Formats: sequence, structure tokens, C-alpha cells
Amino acid sequence: MELKLDGISKNFGEKEVLRNISLSAQSGHAMGLLGRNGAGKTTTIRIIMGVFFADSGTLTIDGKPMNRSEIRIGYMPEERGLYPKQLISTQLIYLAQLRGMSKKAAAESCDRWLERLSMSEYKNKKLETLSKGNQQKIQLAATLMCDPQIVILDEPFSGLDPVNAMLLKDVIKEMISGGAIVLFSSHQMNYIEEFCESIAVINTGKIVLQGKISDIKRSYPRDKISVTSPQAEKLTAFLLQKMSGDILTANVDKNDRSMITVQLKDPAFKSRMLREISDSHFDIDSFYVNEPSLNDIFVQYTEVAV
Amino acid sequence: MKHIFQVFRYEYLTCVKNKAFIITTVIFIALILLLSFVPMIVMSIAKGDDADGEAEIPVIAVSSSVYDKKDLENNFQKAYENYEIQVTDENTDVIKAKVDDATYDFAIVIKDRLSYTFITKNNSMFSTEGELDTIGDTIKNLYRVSEFEKQGISAKDSEKILNSEVHYETVTTGKDQTKNYLSTYILIMILYMAIIMYGQMVSQSVVSEKNTRAMEMLITCAKPTHLIFGKVFGSGLAGLTQLILITGTSVISVGAISSQSIPDEIKDIISFPVQTVIYALIFFLLGYFIYSFLMGALSSFASRSEDLNTLISPVMLLFVAAFMIVVFSINLDGVDSTLMIVCSYIPFTAPMCMFARVAMSDVAFYEIIISIAVQLISVYLFGLLAGAIYKIGVLMYGNPPKPLEIIKLLITQHKENKLAKSQK
Repeated sequence: MELKLDGISKNFGEKEVLRNISLSAQSGHAMGLLGRNGAGKTTTIRIIMGVFFADSGTLTIDGKPMNRSEIRIGYMPEERGLYPKQLISTQLIYLAQLRGMSKKAAAESCDRWLERLSMSEYKNKKLETLSKGNQQKIQLAATLMCDPQIVILDEPFSGLDPVNAMLLKDVIKEMISGGAIVLFSSHQMNYIEEFCESIAVINTGKIVLQGKISDIKRSYPRDKISVTSPQAEKLTAFLLQKMSGDILTANVDKNDRSMITVQLKDPAFKSRMLREISDSHFDIDSFYVNEPSLNDIFVQYTEVAV
Repeated sequence: MKHIFQVFRYEYLTCVKNKAFIITTVIFIALILLLSFVPMIVMSIAKGDDADGEAEIPVIAVSSSVYDKKDLENNFQKAYENYEIQVTDENTDVIKAKVDDATYDFAIVIKDRLSYTFITKNNSMFSTEGELDTIGDTIKNLYRVSEFEKQGISAKDSEKILNSEVHYETVTTGKDQTKNYLSTYILIMILYMAIIMYGQMVSQSVVSEKNTRAMEMLITCAKPTHLIFGKVFGSGLAGLTQLILITGTSVISVGAISSQSIPDEIKDIISFPVQTVIYALIFFLLGYFIYSFLMGALSSFASRSEDLNTLISPVMLLFVAAFMIVVFSINLDGVDSTLMIVCSYIPFTAPMCMFARVAMSDVAFYEIIISIAVQLISVYLFGLLAGAIYKIGVLMYGNPPKPLEIIKLLITQHKENKLAKSQK
């Protein structure tokens, strides 16, 4: 199954919120939706959910216009919301029914998910009596109860302790391997890198970067090398002396005194540098191309325009 | 449609299971049961008083030099059956002293054939006037009989002439407005309170859904129009359940416990014709739908319950105005005034105005049907409008917009929808 947004634009009155957004997501893959606050992520999600109509553009599933009554979508909004004064089982079943499940199926699914998230004991408790993290898990149950084909998660990890975060990771991985389309919006880049093969960065309503994370990273010049060695200071001096014409800068990291970062004039000098080091008698722990982190990429693409 | 039903079911069950709702219902029922016992209790206390009073019959002193003592006693005894009449020769000061120490309840000193002094300890505002009328009539009677006697007509004959009365009966071809007045008044009060109460229940529930952000989930599951229809229907049925429980209890308890002990006057007030009660329920539902759609829709702009009052105040004002029109019309011009007739076809005023007219006067059946039809159509239209407002409101946080801004937003949204549809 493929979810495809093509040329989606949306204005709120005079304000242009989305401009020509195009992206696609496939079954069994997770896509990270990145963007600064107010960039248009939530609006994009709401258009997928059918809360808003797009002013122009199309939204298709496998090339056909999306029919929301046939597709099961699970959505976890960033603003968590359920009924605090209602019993957990009651509201979970209600929401699943609204998503099109029969009452019986909803009740079964409710039991199954509470069990899966080890929340069974709270089934007949009011939501407000639970801790924040546990409320979060109930929210996750509400999202996944309808056995969704498309899962949209907006900051799912906020407020979870490490153990619960692990549990959530497992659940998300299960959903992905189970063939769901997962759209994942977060500001915690480590989670994005962990789950998502591809990302789309939205800035001020436009997609500024899109593609597989590995491809994106590869597209950056591979001219920044990190070397770790217990003799970092000496090694730096050695490299500067041996390759003075090929190196722009070489510095020992301020925090980690055993790491050197070298900026080459050209990525092609990389192998020569490796040879020089191996020919010398320095004790080397590691040698690698310093890829830009997702964080750096994100900042680079979103900083300018705002 | 399926969504409307699901929301409806959920809202209804949530309402009915709500503690506050259950407690109010129980308190109301308890109050009604208590109240229906009151006449019985009052009666038994009153009876107890009578039993004590048999030993001491209050005394009225009558002193006169102009009328025959026997005639005086007979005539006053007739006027004051429960009193002992003492015709006395004591002088005025002694009588005054005796009134003061309560030997006499009050005293009448007839100085002249057509003038008297009324001596009482406490001059209360209401009872005294009644006494004066009775005394005046009695003395007038005495005077007339004595005058007739001078003309040669015997006391017996003259009394016959004087006491001749015209018998009459009233035939009301329509409804007796005087008789229905109080009962209608009570029903209109109930209608007013019920509509406002359940309307506010809808408002509160909308705000709390928004406040807790449960709306973020709901809005992605169902259309806003379905959400608000389901909510309004659900709360409405919950309200109806409560009303039926309360009225049911009153009917049964008044019927069973206290029918014997209630005086006829009160019975008239609290016994409504079945037809009126059915109309009351119909107009309650119509009024409830009209107002709660608007209140619910406007409440969707509130991010906190503090904003609620400001937002729904225009609707509240409208509602209070409608209530005022009915109440003033009933009291001043009668329910068939032009204002009332016009208002019974205006959606906002129709529920209460038409009900008042149906209950108190004769309204042609087709008029009722037209009014109900107008209201049904407005319920539908207001429902759609509410859905449109709701759609904008539920996703809007921060300061609620002003009424004019809401209209602008609606127009923009309408244009956008049209655009979106034309592209499809």
C-alpha cells in the first residue's frame, strides 16, 4: 500500500500554511515527518486524517483517492487527549467503535492491547487516576486498537520512562514489520534515526528535504574525518606536518581529548590520510568519516528560512 | 449516521451514569415526595389546632343602643359562625380594655344606625378590610330590615327580598384561562429551567472535551456535524429521562399519597391535562435542540470553562427575552395577543410561546403543526450551522473570537468547502 500526497496546498484565510506538499509512504516502512514548531506538520497530518480539506492537490492510496471509511488509521495527537473522568475500557471501546470496529471486536482488541502494554489492571479505572506515563500508554492503546493500516504518531515518546520507551519501540517495530505505514513526527532525532528509513523535512509549509536518511547523509561531502587515539595531540601535529597541503583544519576535540577532527580539502585525500596514519606508529582506536547527524541536517535546512 | 448513533449512545450513557446527574435526580425525586407529604402534614397539624380551640371560642363584642339586641346577635352570629357573639352594654373604655387583654377578639360599637367603631388590638393589613366589609354588610342589613318594617313589610319578608341572590354558572367553550393560568405558569418555568439546564450541560461537555483534548482524537474519528448531533441528542435524551423520572414520581406520589388531603384549589394547579404534558415534552425537546445546538456550537470556541459565559451569553439573552415575552404576555395581554401569535412561529420564542398558547387558550391544530414544523426545520438548520461552527471552533485555541469574527470565519470556511468540492 502506498500513501501519496501530491501537491497539497492549504491556506487558512490569508495565511498560507502548506505549499505544494508532496510525499509518499509505503507499507512496512516508517517515514519521519520533521519540522520546527508551526512548520505545518500537524496541518499535514490533519489533512491526511480528513479534518481539513486541502485547497489543492491530491491524497491517494495506491493511486486511488483515499476513502477513509475503508482505511483504518490510528492517530496519536501531540496534544494527548482522552476523557479523564471516564473508565479506560469504556473510552477505548468507544473510540475504536468510532473508528469503525464492532463493539465485540473493540472489546477484544481493548483487552489485547491493555495486556500487550501491561495495563490490564487499570481496565476499569478512571484515566485521571493514572500516572502521566501510563496515560500515555492508554493513548497508544487508543491509537492502535483499530489495528490500523496507517499509523500516525506525533511525539509518541514524550513523557515515557526508558522502560516504557523500550516497550513503545518494540510496538512500533511490530507495526512496521506487520506492514503498516508509519508516519512519525518527533523532535527527538535519535528516535527518527532508529525507526525511519526516510524523512521529509517541512519548513514554513514547504518540503525542503526529502529522501532516505542514508542517501541524504551520503549526499554530504565525506571530507570530515574523525580519528580517536590515546596520542591525539601528537597525532594532530604529525598529520598537520605530513599533509599540510591537503588539510584545512585539524583539531583535538575540546571535550574528548582523545578525538581529532580533520577537515580535508577534498574527500579524495581520505585514503592517503589513512595510509599515512597506518604507516606511522601511532596507536589508533578508530578512523571514520564524520557524517552529519540528523540534528545537524535538520538545523541546516530549517534554520535559514524562519 | 452510524457515528451519530455511537456518539449519541456514549453521551447518553455518560450523562446518565454521571454522579452529579444521579444526585440531582435523586434530590429532585426526594423533594417531590417530601412536598407531596406536606399537605397531609399541614392538614393534620391544622386539625390538631382545631381540637385545641374548641375549649376557647373567640368572642366578638357588639354594643349598640340603636338596634334590637336579639336582631344584633342573630345577624352577627350568621356572619361569624365560628365566633361567640356577645351583645354588651359595657362602655367603650371597658370594651377597649377587654379587647386589649384579648377577652374579646375584636369589638363593634354601633353608635348610630349607620355608623360604628371597630375596635381591634392589631390592625393587620389584609384581614381587617375583610372584617369591615362583613360588619358593614351586617349593619346595612339590620338597617334595611328596620326600614322595611317601618314601611310595613315584615322582617321575614324583607329578609327574603334582601337575601335574594342571582344564581349563575359559567360555561367556557374554550379553555379556562383563569384555571390554567397557574398550572401553565409552572410548566413554563419548568420548561425554561430544563432547556437552560440541559443546554448548559451540552456546553460544559463540549468545553471539557476540548479542554482535555479528547477532541483531538474525536475530530479525527468522526465528522464534527456527527459529533455535535450525537452529543446534543444524547444529552437531550438524558434530560428527557430525568424529566420523565421526576414528573413520573410526582404523578404517582401526588396521586397515591396525598390526593385525599390536597384541597381542590391546589389540585387544580397541579393536575395538568395529559395533552398539556405531552405538548410540554414536545416543546421542551424542540426548545432544547434549538438552544443547545447554538450553545454547544459556540462553546466549541472556549478553550477554558471561564470563556464559556461570554461566548454563550448572546444565546442566553435571547432565551431570557423569549421567557420574558411569554411571562409578560400571560400577565398583561393574555396569551392570544398579536405578539404571542407572531412569536409562536419564530424559532427562538416558539417553544415557550406556542406551549403557553396551547396550554391556556384554544389554538387551531394546524397552527400547532406549522409552529412545530418551523421549529423542526430550524432544529435541522441550526444543527448544520452548529456543525459548521463546531468544525472551526474545536481546533481553535486561545482567545475566543467575537461574534462578528465567527461569522467571517464561517463565510471563509464555506468558500473553502465550495472550492474543495468543485475541485473534486
